[in-house]
Formats: sequence, structure tokens, C-alpha cells
Amino acid sequence: MAPMLQDEGSSSVTSSPLQLFSMMSLSPNLGSPYPFVRELKSEERGLYLIHLLLTCANHVAAGSLENANIALEQISQLASPDGDTMQRIAAYFTEALADRILKAWPGLHKALNSTKLTLVSEEILVQKLFFELFPFMKVAFVLTNQAIVEAMEGEKMVHIIDLNAAEPAQWIALIQVLSARPEGPPHLRITGVHQQREVLEQMAFKLTEEAEKLDIPFQFNPVVSKLDNLDFEKLRVKTGEALAISSVLQLHSLLASDDELLRKKSPLAPKNLNGIHLPGVPQINQSTLGELLEKDLVNGHSRSPDSATSSPQSLSASAKMDGFVNALWGLTPKLMVITEQDSNHNGSTLMERLLEALYSYAALFDCLESTVPRTLERLKLEKMLFGEEIKNIIACEGAERKERHEKLEKWVQRLDLAGFGNLPLSYYGMLQAGRLLQGYGSDGYKIKEENGCVVICWQDRALFSVSAWRCRK
Amino acid sequence: MLENMAEEALPNGFVENPIAGSNPPASKKKRNQPGNPDPEAEVIALSPKTLMATNRFLCEICGKGFQRDQNLQLHRRGHNLPWKLKQRTSKEIRKRVYVCPEKSCVHHHASRALGDLTGIKKHFCRKHGEKKWKCEKCAKRYAVQSDWKAHSKTCGTREYKCDCGTIFSRRDSFITHRAFCDALAEETARLNAASNMSNAVANNINYHFMPTPLGPSMAQHFSSIFKPISSNEEAINQTTRGLSLWMGQGSSQGQESIGNNNLHGIHQLGSVSSGTIFGDPLVSCSNPPPSDYQLNWVFGTKLSSSNAEELTASNSLPLTDVKEAGTQLLSVPSLYSTQHQSHQTPSANMSATALLQKAAQIGVTTTDPSFLGSFGLKCSDSQVRDGNKLCGVLYGTSNPILSTNIGNDVENSAGDLLQVHPAKRRHTMNEESGGGGQTRDFLGVGVQTICHPSSINGWI
Repeated sequence: MAPMLQDEGSSSVTSSPLQLFSMMSLSPNLGSPYPFVRELKSEERGLYLIHLLLTCANHVAAGSLENANIALEQISQLASPDGDTMQRIAAYFTEALADRILKAWPGLHKALNSTKLTLVSEEILVQKLFFELFPFMKVAFVLTNQAIVEAMEGEKMVHIIDLNAAEPAQWIALIQVLSARPEGPPHLRITGVHQQREVLEQMAFKLTEEAEKLDIPFQFNPVVSKLDNLDFEKLRVKTGEALAISSVLQLHSLLASDDELLRKKSPLAPKNLNGIHLPGVPQINQSTLGELLEKDLVNGHSRSPDSATSSPQSLSASAKMDGFVNALWGLTPKLMVITEQDSNHNGSTLMERLLEALYSYAALFDCLESTVPRTLERLKLEKMLFGEEIKNIIACEGAERKERHEKLEKWVQRLDLAGFGNLPLSYYGMLQAGRLLQGYGSDGYKIKEENGCVVICWQDRALFSVSAWRCRK
Repeated sequence: MLENMAEEALPNGFVENPIAGSNPPASKKKRNQPGNPDPEAEVIALSPKTLMATNRFLCEICGKGFQRDQNLQLHRRGHNLPWKLKQRTSKEIRKRVYVCPEKSCVHHHASRALGDLTGIKKHFCRKHGEKKWKCEKCAKRYAVQSDWKAHSKTCGTREYKCDCGTIFSRRDSFITHRAFCDALAEETARLNAASNMSNAVANNINYHFMPTPLGPSMAQHFSSIFKPISSNEEAINQTTRGLSLWMGQGSSQGQESIGNNNLHGIHQLGSVSSGTIFGDPLVSCSNPPPSDYQLNWVFGTKLSSSNAEELTASNSLPLTDVKEAGTQLLSVPSLYSTQHQSHQTPSANMSATALLQKAAQIGVTTTDPSFLGSFGLKCSDSQVRDGNKLCGVLYGTSNPILSTNIGNDVENSAGDLLQVHPAKRRHTMNEESGGGGQTRDFLGVGVQTICHPSSINGWI
């Protein structure tokens, strides 16, 4: 066998680079850089990266940590957050996989993350960047506002609850539209929910300033809280006022299913299997690798009740989500507008999620590559927003995993079950949204209507969905 | 002077509610719709003289004039004169509305009375008065001093200039104009033609997945794309600070950071295409004018604020700021042209989505469900095709003999790493030998290349 390979190697000048991969793969322990790798064309490198990623993920899912390590080593040669699109994506996915592996050593994982600085200002900046560099939020705002304006026609007292009050622009726009309505502006109250007080204060300042300018009776109520322990009393919904609720990319964090919450946290455990034994690691509260592997296999075959993807009809049972949506229903809003990612990143197995995420984030990264120059801001956005989301999707399980994006049809089912009726978004709203997208200068952005809801796409990939709901009795 | 309302009752039932925040919390203000007064209100018709009069209340000691009696009374305290503040005459609050004395005016009728004394005064001046206040910079005249002041604050601070030479002070009219401007359309057409030509050339390079000699040429090609933009630290810091002002309401943040402007300048001119941002000032998208109010506000800029730092928007909007922004934008045009090119040349820098689809294609023939299932892989329904295809990449496609042989040897040499799985894989590989031929045919040219993914898999 060896001679055969050598033959191939000697004719490397004219043969395809991929052929050389096998040669390189042979000697995983050679730390030396593979010169051919550097010379790879972007496309070939991209394909190889995909291959390596899948290989690595498969190893991780199977618990073959040594193999996964080799794959990681190879990917690291090629991936880079500064490179072309595929290189960037690979960099973040690799990091996520590595993080997942590392969780098998919880002590190590905690220690490595113990001095991480998370600056609130940076987090706020990243959200701003997402708002600026992409049109998605703006489209969502335009659609939400239009739905509100239409629903609140004739209403004198309007109360809006914003489940993530971070971007004043949305409500400034609404205030301006409302002030110009023929019947005059209503009394407007906005209740903003956010985890950081500073953000809410800034919002209050901006919105109050705008309302004063336009001489509209206005009140902003800040509620500093996380969503999963939100006290609905604090929202102070009064009788007689027309209530609208706006949720932009928030609900999915509540989707951890009951089963998952009951199970233990770590995705991988240092358990003896496949010849991989990690000596001296105490097994505290870990489900065994065998159990996890079995779980993966089981989910692969059968339709377990908590598999969010095995059948489109079965929704994962999540008491948290049900409770929240029911509480929202209990407020009897006149209108509720939900914006969510329109991808299935809530599969029960790693591979499912990884494959889906590859497609989704490929579209997002492609979009950035096509519309934004390679600036530091873009890098920050990629790393601190998308990188973190990818890490959460891939490396986290149970209650830790917040980025549980689901497809629109699932949201429709859920909300329908909870007693909400779909309100088709108006044509005029979609027209405005379409114009906004055109104004972004790239024809990659597309908007399509799906059963009264709007889906925003990059090329052919659906990325975000906006839907409006009313309380059904 | 008092008239009773005899007109139709207007359905304006209002709920009283306290208004905190913008208005002083003490007063309970009932807001009626403009021009539709409360039917219960007391209608007051003042004469033009009374309306125009200012400072009717004079202090007898010093002669100082006041617009309101209450103010005069308070002033009299300073002179140690007896003073009395009038209380409300009746227990109830009788809302007062005012009519315009000008007979030909709409607001002359009680049904269209205005609720605010100051309002009716201003209205009378504006509509029926002489325009005594003149703006210095432009030719506009105003009858009301506050109007004049408001205008002079913004006059000339923001100007949009179209390529055809027309100047606009309002952003929305500017955008509307540009969408229909003939001069602009010509330029756009010219530029598009030019860029298409240059891209056609680049397209031929490496479009198909063919083996090409490796070498320095590749590296060079990439290096121009990978050249990072020298990011201006200053701009970024400013961006950090000022990013909340994307609407251009950067009035409160005085130094409306220019770096900030770069970032949201990019999207501030809503209809500006990315081409404009990257230094192509004449390219604009032929959008239908976003004349709707909301669109403008969502990502437009309001001109009313007193911020002198607001962007001087012109076609080359971001570029005029370049000198202030430092180096950030300077490198952009070159990058854009490269990037633009690369965007048009899929092979040179293929989009990740395209790569994934290609990878899925390569693996398309070997979706053996049991094979996948045995490794716990279950691909989602919605993306089943793609997912399975991608899994197929993993598990090999064709040329089983080559792969199997390599696989065998590799496994031997790779030691005991692959105890459990290889046996299965090898087995399945052999089974697939019959189907190898299909893949070879599938891609036609470049059979070599098809083999290689599998040869990689062979050892894994």
C-alpha cells in the first residue's frame, strides 16, 4: 500500500490537490504544515473544510475524541476568522465543536472560561451592528409597526410591550407615524423588557425626547428582567387599553423541552468507551457516554417525543414555553408580532443541528461577504454574535442551549395551540419591507409571503420570519 | 363674546389618564383631536387686536409688560404692591376653545375651533398676518418668530445634492427625485455595463472544478482579497459610542462620530446601494421612491434636529466624510472593486452556500439510510436531501477499490484509533462497489476529483 501512495505523491505536481489529502491524512501526527494546503484554491479548501467539519462532528457525536482531535488539528490549518466565507464559518464551527468536547472535562472547561471578560458595552455594540449591517431587524420593525398602526386604528390608548427593548429606532419610527395619523396620536405607553438597565435608560431617554418633540402623550416603563423569569405583573397591563406585544428573536430561548431539562447537562462524559479512557477524571453527575450515544442512536431511529425534527407535527413539549405563551395570551393583547429565526436549529442530535446550522450560517456569512467589507466591526459581529450562537447550538445542551431556532411552521402550530389566531400581515407593510430591502443595494435579499406571514431570505435560504397574531377566544 | 355650541356633537369620549414623562405630571391634560373641539367647551372669539397684542398687562411702577395677568401679579410682589392671583371662577374646569376672527378662515366656525390660545395666535399670524421675519440664508419669510427661529436652525445644515444639480433640504424629496432623475439613470447604465465586462473576464478563471497547477499565482489571487482593511481605531471607538444614533438623531452626541457615520451612513441613505458606499458614487438603485413616512423614519434621517454635525449628504456621502474618517474608507473602494469582482466570480471565491451544495452533490449517490442510521445520524426532514447528501460526502462516494485499499492500509498504519467503526465502513464500502460507476458518470469530467473525497474517507 505504501508504495502506491508514494507513487501518487511523486506525481503531485499534476494531480488534483484533493488526491493529496489522503496522503496528508495518513500521518496525523506530523505536526508539520502541509505545503499544498496553503496553495489550495478557495473552492477546494472550502470543500475540504466541509468534509473535515462533518468528519469531526461525527467523531464528536460518537465520542471518538481522539479522531475528533485529529480532525480539529487539520481544520485549524485551514480555517480562519479572517479568511473567506467558508474559512470563517469553519473557524466558528470548529470552536464550537472543541467547546463541546471540552465540556467532557467540566473542570477544565470552567477553568478556561473563568477569566472571560464580557463587556456589556461590547454586547450592546454587537446588537447595534446586527441592526445596522443587516436589514433583517429593520424589516421586522417595519412590519411590526405597520401591523400595530393598523390594529390600533381608532384606539386612543395604546400600550406596547417590547420583549427586547434594545433598539429605539423601532419605536421612534412608530411614534412618528402615530403622530401623523389623521385622527391624531393616541396616548402611548411602551413597556420595555431587557436585562440591562442602561439599555432601558437609553431607550427611555430617546423615546421620551422624540415624543416630546412631537407633543405626544407618552410614557416609558422599563422592566429589568430576563424573559424566563419575567413577572407579568410588572408589565402593568391595564384594562381599557389596547395592547400590542412585540417579540423580536426572543421566544426561542424558552424552548428547552422538559425532557432535556431533566437530563444532565454535559453532552459528553469521560466514560470508558471505544478504548478512550480518561484516567483520573471523576465522574460527577454525568450521564455516561454510552447513554448519550444510545440516546443519539435512539433518536436517530425512532420518533422520540422530544425530537423537534423527526416529524413536522410533533412539537417538543416545553412547559416553559407553554407557560410563557399562555401568560401572553392571558394579557389578551389586541396584537402580537413575533419575529424569529426561520431555521431548524433545535434538532435533538448534534448532527442534525450542525447540518442545519451550516446552511443557515453559510447564508448569513455569504450575505455579509457580499454586502459588507471586511472590517473589524464585521468580524466582531461574526464572532460575538454568530460565533456565540453557533457555539450555543453545537456545544450546549439542556437549559444552557438558548438558541433553539425553529421553523415558522412550528411557531405557527405552537401559537395556534395556545389560542392565538394568525393575522395576515398587510400588503402595504410587505411593500414597505420590500422597498427597504431594495434600498439595501443587494438583490440577494428576498422577501416572501407564507400564509400571511413574511419570510426574509438571503438568496434561497429562509432566515427570518415575521408573523402577527391576535387573541382568539 | 361667548357663543354656545349649536353644531353637531362630536364623538370624542376621552378617558382621563395621567400623563407622566414628557408633560409636567401636575396637569391632567385632555387631548382632543386637532380641529375637533370638545362639544362641552366654551367658545371664545377674540378680536384680531387682542390676539396680536402682546404684553397687555402693564406694571404701573416700572411699565414692564406681561402676557398674562398672573405673571403681572407675581411681578407686583417684587414692588411690594398688593397682589392677588385670581382663582378659577367656577368649580368645574370649563374648557375653552378659540375661533379665528378672520371670516374666510376655516377655523372661524365654532366647530373647528382650536383649543389652545397660543395656537390660535400663531395660526392667525401665520395665515392672516404679515411675514415680518426673514431667514438670512435663504429667501423664506415667516410671520411667527418661533417658526423663523426653528427654520434658521436647520437652514443650510443639511443639503442633499443630486447629480443633476438640484439641491434638496428634505431627504424624502431628494430620494424621490433621484429615483426618477434622468441624469442618474444614464450614469447607472454606463457603470453597470462597464462592471459587467470586467467580470466576464474574471469568470473564466477556475470556474469548473478542474485540477490546476498549484503555485504562487493562487496565493497572489487570494492575498488581494484577504487584505484586511486598515480599520481606523478612532472610527471604531466612535462607533462604539455613537452607534445608538443611527437615525442621525445624533444631536445629543455632539461629535456625531464620523466613524459612526460610516457605519450607519452606509445604510442611512436608504436607497443608496452598496455600490455607493464603496466609492462608486454614481451608482444608485432605481428604487421606487420610498415615499412612505415610516420607511424614512426607520432608516432615514430627520432633518429637524439642531445638530450641526449631521451628515452633509451628497451622492458621495460617505466619501466626503473620508477626510474626517481617516483611513477607513480609503481602502474600501479598492477592496470593493476586488470584492465586487470576487463576488462575481464564484469560482475564485465561492459562496459558502454554493460550496455546501457542491459538497452535497458530490456525495449524492451514497445515501444508504441504514449506514447513516447506524452512526446515529438522523438528518432533518426539511433539509433531508441536503443533509443526506452532506453525510454522503462523509461516507464516501465512489471508486471503492481505491478507497478500500487505501482504507485498509491506512487503518493498519494509523494504529488502533479506529477500532469500532472501520469494520463497518469497510464492509459497506465493498457493498457499494457496484454503485461506484454511477458516481463516475455523474460529474463526467474530472473523475479524478470524485475519487478523492472517498479516498479521504477510506482512512477515516
